[in-house]
Amino acid sequence: MIIKHKDQIRSPEEIRKNFEKLGYICSDAIATAVYLACQLQKPILIEGPPGVGKTELAKKTAEYLSAPLIRMQCYEGLDEAKALYEWKYGKQLLYTQLLKDQLGDVMRGAKGLDESVERLHQFGDIFYSEEFLETRPLLQALKEPDGAILLIDEIDKADQEFEAFLLELLSEYQVSIPEIGTIKATSRPIVMLTSNNTRELGDALKRRCLHLYIPFPDPKLEQKIIASQVPELGDELRDQLVNFVKELRQLALKKVPAVSESIDWARALLLLNVDELNREWVEMTLNLLLKFQDDIEIVEPEINQLLSNMRKPGRH
Amino acid sequence: MQKVIGDFIHALRHHGLPVSPAETLDALQATKLVGLDNPQTLKTTLSLTLAKSLQHRVQLEELFDQYFQQQVSNDNPEQEDSTDQPDQEDSNVAATDNISEAFEGDKSESAEGSTAATLMQSPLGQQLLDNDQPALQMAIASAGQAQGASEMQLFTQKAQVSFRIMQQLGDQQLNQELAELAQDDANLALIETLQQARTRLREQIGDYVEQQYLLYTQKSGEQLRESNLQKIKLTNVDHSHQQQMTRLVQKAAKRLATLHSRRRRVTKRGLLDVRKTIAANAAYDGFLFHTKWKSTKVDRPKVMVLCDVSGSVSRVARFLLLFLYSLQDVLPRVRSFVFASDLGEVTDSFDKDEIEVAIAKIMDEWANRPTDYGVALTDFKQLALKDIDNKTTVIMLGDARNNNGDAKSEIWAEVYKRSQRVLWLNPEGRYSWNSGDSVMSEYAPHCSIVEPCNSLRDITRILGTLLQRT
Repeated sequence: MIIKHKDQIRSPEEIRKNFEKLGYICSDAIATAVYLACQLQKPILIEGPPGVGKTELAKKTAEYLSAPLIRMQCYEGLDEAKALYEWKYGKQLLYTQLLKDQLGDVMRGAKGLDESVERLHQFGDIFYSEEFLETRPLLQALKEPDGAILLIDEIDKADQEFEAFLLELLSEYQVSIPEIGTIKATSRPIVMLTSNNTRELGDALKRRCLHLYIPFPDPKLEQKIIASQVPELGDELRDQLVNFVKELRQLALKKVPAVSESIDWARALLLLNVDELNREWVEMTLNLLLKFQDDIEIVEPEINQLLSNMRKPGRH
Repeated sequence: MQKVIGDFIHALRHHGLPVSPAETLDALQATKLVGLDNPQTLKTTLSLTLAKSLQHRVQLEELFDQYFQQQVSNDNPEQEDSTDQPDQEDSNVAATDNISEAFEGDKSESAEGSTAATLMQSPLGQQLLDNDQPALQMAIASAGQAQGASEMQLFTQKAQVSFRIMQQLGDQQLNQELAELAQDDANLALIETLQQARTRLREQIGDYVEQQYLLYTQKSGEQLRESNLQKIKLTNVDHSHQQQMTRLVQKAAKRLATLHSRRRRVTKRGLLDVRKTIAANAAYDGFLFHTKWKSTKVDRPKVMVLCDVSGSVSRVARFLLLFLYSLQDVLPRVRSFVFASDLGEVTDSFDKDEIEVAIAKIMDEWANRPTDYGVALTDFKQLALKDIDNKTTVIMLGDARNNNGDAKSEIWAEVYKRSQRVLWLNPEGRYSWNSGDSVMSEYAPHCSIVEPCNSLRDITRILGTLLQRT
């Protein structure tokens, strides 16, 4: 993977610029993280509040390196059968039934139980071969001939055992299947794990990863992001929007608006042909930014205050 | 480079960041890749590889600034450029300029400056006259190492270490020389210069020692305090330590939780259940289309905890509750009751509020009433006795000081009979049980375990055994 993309991952700066071309505006920390992950072949553990572009980073990396993105969504109760591989039990059972007659042919002429068993052994473990192996995301990522971007999304939702199970994969890029043996990565995938911090992850997992924390972007960066995502939006309105969102983030809300909400809002404002943020527009579109009724109730009486804060000059 | 990063990691560990050797190697590799040219990139790289949580990252960035500011002035020029931050460089350069200006001014005053330099015999004197800053800084650093600047234990040692570094640099010699020079009036200007330089040197050493103290010592003092807090009697924890204690409790609870959560969940895994599969597919003429899985029911221990929140016990109760609810991952079904005279269930308040807020509210509402175990147990019988089954662990925290009321130990006996086991934790030491109005002896026969419990360490140990056996 590295060798193929040597030029593309030459330096963090290069990565940052090219991501920008793809419409993903990132900070230096993010670019450096991607650079190091590619060069050191280490997984990145990405943390941060929801909606700051954790998953998007993996998607863009895949797009940039033109490698397939293999995504695994974690949830409680996820186990290796769903993450790594599973035997196609149905197929196995069906085949044994269908092959019943064939079995008769094979066994014909065998004397006694010993000989029959002997003959059966000659066929080896046909029912436990790769034919009957249902690959799941993790195995698929290892088998991808040109490498892949493996996105393990919301690892904090999975159980702790699953985390432990990932360790072998993350450090050695190999997995063990008891019936077949150890499968090594054909080309090491770039692994990205995201976490929303619903629970603390194990130290062993953290130790194996680079740790990237993506915070809410500063106003400047957010302006750039919105400019690249919603280029039609006027400069002035964009400026107002970013500052307004920034003010909102200062309030004690259940869920503060993230970048993805800002983008949605920008799109909505564009669609509504708004040229300046005022009380009515904000009230009407507030539900795009805030996802809880409680939050909306907190913010509504504050809108005037927020709008006037936003207009204060020299606030950057 | 290795040494710089190595020392930095050493400082990180002192501040409580758990940096493993493997991470050190990663950091070195990463640093090799990005180079030392750009301090900002270096900072990002180190925080990517070494800090594994937001809190650690903030700590690392603070330390980075502190540490490399010092490095800049200590190390050779190459590294100076590479690790320096613009603003710091400015201030440093400015400082050096000031010094050299001062010296030039002095030199032009004393006409026989050149001969004066030859007069100086001691190396320190010469260095001061030459104003060789890098060399001086190097000398301070190496003297600091020799005098154990990085091994200070308490802030009171700062002065002593500074003095010793000054001595090692040859202050005594310089003093003698100054005395000799003072005999000749012609040397007055020179003496003046030297005295000034010496004062500055002293300040530099002071700064250096202060920095070392901040880097290496400050936190180890905190560690010491933490380990002391583990052992302290919970009844004696004063208000200023409350917060720190809370943090410690949560830390300990988390450790216990990680220790025990894994083992408990193993049973969840499913295997193919052959018998059920065949049965389910009987309708398809023996063709097995649908698979059935073995599943094991997860056995979660039920815990009921009764806390006496009167008087001195309330403090311990606070921590016990805090601990239990920090263990939610492994003990999801804790029902809690508090009592002084009347008993009430407070499980719900923990669902509504943050743990600490909830506990504060509970204490406000229930505490500060005279204790009556009899009434409390009668209430408990009505509220919860029927829910106790042979998987339930009942924990009672109380001093059994009943104000000479009726103990109603027969209720407790029934609780004991129905439950899997009964723990009685008493915040008082064994020697004071049954003294005065304590009726411990009436309850003790109906308990599986009776233990004194009055420090965080006790709580950790007792709950540890509780989890082990479930």
